[in-house]
Amino acid sequence: MKKENSQNGITLEAPFQDPPRYPRHVQVVMKGNYAAAEAARLCRAGFIPAYPITPQTTIVERLSEMVAEGKLDATYINMDSEHSVFAAAMGAAIGGERVFTATAGNGLFYAHEVLQAIAHFRLPMVMCNVGRPSIPWNIWSDQSDSLSQRDTGWIQLYGESSQEVLDTIIQAYVLTEKLQIPVMVVLDAFYQSHTSENVWLPDQNLVDRFLPPIQPGPMSIDLKQPKSFGGLMPPEHYNRLNYSYWKTVNQTEALSGKIAADFGAHFGRMYDNVEAVNIGSHTRLVLVTLSSITSTARGVIRDYPEIGLLKLRLFKPFPKEAVKKALAPLSKDAAIAIVERNFLGDNEGAIMQEMKRALYGSHYKMYDFFAGLGGKDVPPETIEKIIHRAFHQPEAVNWIDVG
Amino acid sequence: MKPALEFLIKDEKVYSGALSCRGCGWSLLVRHLASILGENTVYVAPASCFSIISGPYPLRELQANLVHTVFAAAPATATGVRAALDRQGKKDTTVVILAGDGGTFDIGLQALSGAAARNENLLYIVNNNGAYMNTGIQTSTATPYGAVTTTNPGKGFKRAWPKDLMGIVAAHNMPYAATASLAFLEDLRRKVEKAKNTQGFRLLMIDGPCPPGHKTDPAESIHIGRMAVETRLFPLFEMERQHYTINYRPEKYIPVEECMKYQGRFKHLFAPENKYMIDEVQAHTDQYWVRLEALEEM
Repeated sequence: MKKENSQNGITLEAPFQDPPRYPRHVQVVMKGNYAAAEAARLCRAGFIPAYPITPQTTIVERLSEMVAEGKLDATYINMDSEHSVFAAAMGAAIGGERVFTATAGNGLFYAHEVLQAIAHFRLPMVMCNVGRPSIPWNIWSDQSDSLSQRDTGWIQLYGESSQEVLDTIIQAYVLTEKLQIPVMVVLDAFYQSHTSENVWLPDQNLVDRFLPPIQPGPMSIDLKQPKSFGGLMPPEHYNRLNYSYWKTVNQTEALSGKIAADFGAHFGRMYDNVEAVNIGSHTRLVLVTLSSITSTARGVIRDYPEIGLLKLRLFKPFPKEAVKKALAPLSKDAAIAIVERNFLGDNEGAIMQEMKRALYGSHYKMYDFFAGLGGKDVPPETIEKIIHRAFHQPEAVNWIDVG
Repeated sequence: MKPALEFLIKDEKVYSGALSCRGCGWSLLVRHLASILGENTVYVAPASCFSIISGPYPLRELQANLVHTVFAAAPATATGVRAALDRQGKKDTTVVILAGDGGTFDIGLQALSGAAARNENLLYIVNNNGAYMNTGIQTSTATPYGAVTTTNPGKGFKRAWPKDLMGIVAAHNMPYAATASLAFLEDLRRKVEKAKNTQGFRLLMIDGPCPPGHKTDPAESIHIGRMAVETRLFPLFEMERQHYTINYRPEKYIPVEECMKYQGRFKHLFAPENKYMIDEVQAHTDQYWVRLEALEEM
């Protein structure tokens, strides 16, 4: 089935295209972590609590440089732990400041309690998580950390490239300040965080026009109208609070899609909540991916006209409508292969769990593939193994290259 | 210390109806604090009895903003609040942490140390009632030697010494820290004023009466607090940077059992086989006083 040349009337993307050029941007070669830091600067983050953890550290290092050099007017504080980082972030957000921070793996796990509090306080902020697992010590790419925090109430967006990480952080601030729900932007350890790519840096005034200054929200301190924030909430009120959160979070998919479209019109680059590549009635298999594995899969499927790709960008809340719409053209006997760079102690990975919820009652054959845990490389050959297994003797859940 | 009337609250800044137990120190403490700190204050409270006393939603005891936060990180949340206010030019707003001993000596110690080491412009108030009282009298590292709690029950009473919080605090070389007692209101109010008008990280540790936890008569709360100071179990002193001043020197030497005898949590220590432990408490108390005087001399 692997094709050597264009056939069956399907036009493939040219292997080498002239890269796009964007007016009012400068092109810079930079690592993913620096792209995240540049995004925080462009968004004029006012409060940055920091604590080092590999592989996130260079984000907060770069931000401290920007503050020291006067390139960013922010209050930057070296905290005593990630728990304190997020507790401080919470305080500054209640104080009405635009907050940014970054963490990874154990830092995110350690902050779990505070993540819950921030989300249920309905505080806007953006955090960048560079995914890695925990103990036994592993610092390499893995999404078990962020995916294990999917139920803390934070919106989660995953970036495929450094450019997308930068652009997504800008969009995330619009989203978080509209919904008053915090947003986590996730990138892959090392494959993104420490890998240099071409990144188009927008001019400050271009970003300023897209992202206006933060306005005080209902959860902001007002010295003239004092309030009690987060005191004991009796059951009858607590229920109402969750109902309000639920109504708002249900708007995420539509709003995130609209912000992405606005961003496209404003900056010239468009990312939707999900991206469907080569999904049609002819497609026999769809690979489902998050983050940098998407790029590898993109390359591989060029050689397979009958294989499509579904990239998830918004993960939490899961973009059910967009996923259903993307897969709608598939024929009855098409299959779906999900690539999981996460292990949450269950039979299936996190993406499969969400896909099954989204596609409940549908006819798709779905196979789960654990690959690339703890930073194990997922080169094109691994994607091809997944494709081969999906076509021949797939099991419901498959482990690739266990060694 | 001569009797004085400066302890009367002239400008009440709390609403009535605090949900504290009878004889609790929290509500009296907060009334005094609020009357001095005023409405231009943001309070930050980790989990403690005060989380409840301050009023469940939608009630509010304090006539100021109050931010409830996670148990372990009140000084961190206060750091964020402080930074936001400073960025908005509200530098004259006081940010005050109201914590119990569990949230200070135990789960919150790291965040406290972090904020103190950064010399954040915060006022930290710890109401030390010597156990996790809100959850029902469990041992903390502030629980006195020999005390009974529900997690050191009966013959399993506590046999470890409490942490010297003020010593830990002093090691941070902070601008101002002091102990205070509700039985010495003039001294307490002066220290709150001084803390309010000092820049940087300040901490006041208040001896917190707790009738259900200490097994005491609610009507005796202030008397027992006075005896804690008179017996030197709870000395009144302050530190500016590392310069110590003892604020009250008892005229007479009164044995510690004169304070302990009112407290049911120490009742078993008066049994003949445990009497030696009261002697140990006395020796420890005497030694602490000697050390304080030596520190004051330095």
